[in-house]
Amino acid sequence: MRHIQISLILFCLALLTGPATAQIDFDNIQLKARVGYNIGATAPLGIPASIRGIESFKLIPDFRVGFDAMYPLSEKFGIAAGLFFETKGMDGEVTTKGYHMKVKMDDAEMEGLYTGHVRQKVQQRMLTIPLQLSYRISEKVELTGGPYLSLLLAKEFSGYAFDGYLRKDDPTGAKVVMGNQEGEWATYDFSDEMRTCQLGATVGVNWDLFRRLGLSADLSWGLTGIHRSDFKTVEQTLYPIYGTIGIFYRIK
Amino acid sequence: MKYFYYIVTLTMILTSCIKDEPQNTECDILEAWVEGDHLAQHFFQNTDMRIREVSSGTDLLTFTIRNHASLPAMPVYFKLSSGAVVSPANGSEQDFSNGPVTYIVTSEDGQWHRTYQVDFREASLPSSSYDFEDFELSSNGNYYVWYDTGNDGAIDRIWASGNEGFMIANPNADAKDYPTVPDENGFDGYCVRLTTRATGSWGKAFKKPIAAGNLFLGAFDSKYALTNTLKTTQMGIPYTKEPVKVTGYYKYSPGEVFTDKDSREVPDRIDEPSIYSVLYLNHDEQGNEVMLHGDDVLTSPYIVRTAQEEALPATSDWQPFELTFKGTIPIDADLLANRGYSLALVFSSSKTGDTFEGAVGSTLYIDKVKITFQTEQTTENAQ
Repeated sequence: MRHIQISLILFCLALLTGPATAQIDFDNIQLKARVGYNIGATAPLGIPASIRGIESFKLIPDFRVGFDAMYPLSEKFGIAAGLFFETKGMDGEVTTKGYHMKVKMDDAEMEGLYTGHVRQKVQQRMLTIPLQLSYRISEKVELTGGPYLSLLLAKEFSGYAFDGYLRKDDPTGAKVVMGNQEGEWATYDFSDEMRTCQLGATVGVNWDLFRRLGLSADLSWGLTGIHRSDFKTVEQTLYPIYGTIGIFYRIK
Repeated sequence: MKYFYYIVTLTMILTSCIKDEPQNTECDILEAWVEGDHLAQHFFQNTDMRIREVSSGTDLLTFTIRNHASLPAMPVYFKLSSGAVVSPANGSEQDFSNGPVTYIVTSEDGQWHRTYQVDFREASLPSSSYDFEDFELSSNGNYYVWYDTGNDGAIDRIWASGNEGFMIANPNADAKDYPTVPDENGFDGYCVRLTTRATGSWGKAFKKPIAAGNLFLGAFDSKYALTNTLKTTQMGIPYTKEPVKVTGYYKYSPGEVFTDKDSREVPDRIDEPSIYSVLYLNHDEQGNEVMLHGDDVLTSPYIVRTAQEEALPATSDWQPFELTFKGTIPIDADLLANRGYSLALVFSSSKTGDTFEGAVGSTLYIDKVKITFQTEQTTENAQ
């Protein structure tokens, strides 16, 4: 993971410093305002066997709004940077069998293997700076790709385990039943253990539709987990993986 | 738009790649029983042939029988965790005449084991005096447990407390800081000290902010410790004599601040201890086992005798208490002799601690408890 981070940073620097050495003709810069709908999840890469089913997955109205500027390097290639405000959330329910979890409240911890239901909520508000290479494949269609950096302004990772039981410490430990109403289920909140800075990569496509208006689709894939690397409570590292469907308006 | 298609596909992959179900890691005995009409003669009640709802913390299963000497080899059947296997084989005849037989349960994935002792014990005459000198640390070493030594010299785990439930909410607490602990400053030797404790952040989250110190005849099952605490207390053990009174010594000091279940202070309310005992029919009309829990131990229709002290004033010196059993429902002597009645005896440092109302710090000391039975009293009266 460290190697990916370093190479990403080097790539960003190369993108930034590349054009700086050449003469920049500011008149050539294309400025786009964008608004989009984010859809996706915060998920492990490969669902562990201890997760037995996905009971529900609520679509959260997550959006992305901002602008980017593209500087053409040649007829087909260009580089772009942008600034976006976006939200990436999740609200889902899974069933587990012997899923390793630790729930913590202040100084008291409860760790063990949980079989039952888990409702998980993630909410993130962030400023995202994408750096992209673009390649025009036809008159109307342009492909983009590159790294991004997100700074989180607000973050929440919380949930509760209900309608199941925990075997304390290991499968032979005390069996503790979790009920299906508030006061009988185990809540957890690991918001404070989330990173404030996320790195990832995006690929996307822009499609010029009508005059200055266009449609875009992007996929952003987090390369850093949403929690700090020393956080081991959740069994797997969770990555933000979101797609954006949007429209853009070419200001200039 | 093909990228949109890829995004959708990717989301589908992420949400649909549920792996094959892992093999079960649990290795519990959930239920144990002996079957066959020809074996029923060795038991007092048919329900004694089955141990239901074995709690996850139990590793000793005891069947109570009439006579050990005439006990044939017994086939014991088990209901195990899904996929688990037991050795010796489930339902195989084993000789219990030399004491408990060890069974090892292995989980479906083969990685986990639990060792259980299964024993067939002759019903011992109920003890009548409890001095709380016999205690030890629980098998996990976290808290204290009390036991009685039966007339065959073997340990009888007749006493239970909520300590196991407290452990779940406070896994790092020292054994001395649990609600129910031994205290060397007894009336003589050790006594038992019951203290109402705060259960910490967990307890608060589950709206169970306090744990009264308690000790009772029966068993505790932590399964519902966070959800339905009243069901964790299985009150009572079979008794074959009719109790007349419970006597003993106590000291009590109420905690300073009385709080309700939402941890709100209730001004001017002073905490009180509680000591009570009931004798109840342990089978219903259909012959099903009856077990009283925290929610019905004083209200169940199966209760035939109740002994309860109205008021136990705070005292820093040992004071005697005497509770007389009251009730008019006739007691069936034959049923009594055949373990058809159970006796519950409960001590608690906060009278309303079962509904999480009480004062943290309320402390009840109990020592030299004696249950006087019908026959003994007749003898005493004759002297």
